[in-house]
Amino acid sequence: MNGHRLTLRQRLPLRLDLRGVLPGALAALDLAAAERLPVAHGREWLPLAECFTLESFEVEQPTLHFIGDLARVDHLGWGLDGGEILVDGPVGDHLGSTMRAGTIRVRGSAGDLAGVEMAGGELHIEGDAGHFVASTLPGSMDGMRGGLICIHGRAGDRLGDRMRRGSVIVGGDVGDFAASRLVAGSVLLGGRAGAHPGYGQRRGSVVWLQPDAAPEPPATFVPGLGNTAVFWQLFARDLAGIGERHLAGQPLADLLTALPARRPQRWRGDLAVDGHGEWLLPR
Amino acid sequence: MSGNDLILNGISVDNTFAEAFPMKATRIVVTAHRVEWARHAGVTATGFATSVIACGCEAGIERELGPDETPDGRPGVSLLLFAMSGKELAKQLERRVGQCVLTCPTTAVYAGIDPGPSVSGYGDRPPEGAPPGLGRPGAGQGEAIGLGKNLRFFGDGWQTSKVIGGRRYWRVPVMDGEFIAQETTAVVKGVGGGNLLLLARDTDAALDAAEAAVAAMRRVPDVVMPFPGGVVRSGSKVGSKYPALMASTNDAFCPTLVGLAKQSELDERIGCVMEIVIDGLTGAAVGEAMRVGMHAVIDRGADSGLLRISAGNYGGKLGPFHFPLRRLLSAAEGASA
Repeated sequence: MNGHRLTLRQRLPLRLDLRGVLPGALAALDLAAAERLPVAHGREWLPLAECFTLESFEVEQPTLHFIGDLARVDHLGWGLDGGEILVDGPVGDHLGSTMRAGTIRVRGSAGDLAGVEMAGGELHIEGDAGHFVASTLPGSMDGMRGGLICIHGRAGDRLGDRMRRGSVIVGGDVGDFAASRLVAGSVLLGGRAGAHPGYGQRRGSVVWLQPDAAPEPPATFVPGLGNTAVFWQLFARDLAGIGERHLAGQPLADLLTALPARRPQRWRGDLAVDGHGEWLLPR
Repeated sequence: MSGNDLILNGISVDNTFAEAFPMKATRIVVTAHRVEWARHAGVTATGFATSVIACGCEAGIERELGPDETPDGRPGVSLLLFAMSGKELAKQLERRVGQCVLTCPTTAVYAGIDPGPSVSGYGDRPPEGAPPGLGRPGAGQGEAIGLGKNLRFFGDGWQTSKVIGGRRYWRVPVMDGEFIAQETTAVVKGVGGGNLLLLARDTDAALDAAEAAVAAMRRVPDVVMPFPGGVVRSGSKVGSKYPALMASTNDAFCPTLVGLAKQSELDERIGCVMEIVIDGLTGAAVGEAMRVGMHAVIDRGADSGLLRISAGNYGGKLGPFHFPLRRLLSAAEGASA
């Protein structure tokens, strides 16, 4: 299998759309063909080599390694169905949107709409992420529906809006309306949240990794009574495993690996909708 | 068929074989707040499951599990269930888990054979803390059948699910908190009907030998002995003089019929015969259990009152799995029978 290293030639004057530039697609091409691959830059099409210097290298699974300031590069990893994408630098909007499998790891920050309608795979952002992470494409009813998103830094507004399945872990603070209209899935927050977290939460779990940072639950949430320790052990052990595998050495990993030994306080809501959602505050 | 050339520790081992047949099998793990409640659930769920002739399935407790061997860190038991078809197994599993595990205080139930991911996602791996010591087939092996999939409806709309590590778990509100059930477990091909016949001087000697053998065989993974205490005294032959019956007493091994039955495998020294039936996930596991069982009784010697070891077969007509007793013993000892 071939890997490709793509180094940005110069700062992009316009937005560049990298839909279709995927590890599997490039692995099937020789270097010259990969360099000719057309990509949308503003209103025109350019060969990939006009924007990036391409080098190939041997690696076990199809891999793309981007280097440079990709803050104006959108749709990176769009529809990814296998292989790995590494980015050294910031990236633009729609990172990993609609991806189904594989891994994207960004050693930098991402723009808005990262992981939108993602259905599988892993998306790791070592910096901050913008608004609408794991939410929906315009007109769609369901957001993220599988996979794992790890954001080491902060995230913007509407994190996990209409998310249906999968897990989102954010180490830092998040903006307004976090986990709003959550259908299902798990949202783990390591920092503080803006206004109206859990607004219209139908089902799913919001875990406040640092309960002291959790806001007062809204009036439409009620205390969850009864013994749910068995579920918590299943859930917390899996999260601890995620912490060990993906976040080793990070403060977030310590929070996750400590979860099985903690006992969560539980709130149920949002009663304004189904009320089958839960907030878990492990003490 | 029963030449008595091999005598070990004074006990004769017949030159015969046990005959077994293919079954569909699954394993489930039941945990509870205290091990005795897992035991209660296990005993109840595997009750009335001695023979597929009239029970629908054959089942037993494979072994007890420590907290470090279960998905939720609580003590538990692993159960093996065997049936003649995947459809019948699914029916029996749902009934037994629904009536005997769901109802038992504090229990939760998980797949003991990994059915593979319930949904696509990052979690193409067993859940964290999945039982490591069960010797289970690889992830995703076998067809998935419902475990909590239909039982969830007991929640009357209050049930919720959570996908953890790619596996879906159902949370059903019950009066002690929540009943947690993994959505599916996997059906694999199993082997049913492995057996040993222990021919002894009298009832005490036969019971002692059978108990010793069963105790040793229970330490073998992937097998259960589904009859009461692991032992059956009503060994059967295929067919009957009564057309409605598919099985009837094994007259060739009934001491009271020596001299009466057309053909007897016994002589005047044999006063009591016990059978141990073994169902396993693999033929190798069944063979290993038979080997361990034979060694357990041979080690006790002929002074224990056990005189012969034999096995039930139907001339190779019943099933494709044959377990020759002497070959099982020689495989371990390097001796020839």
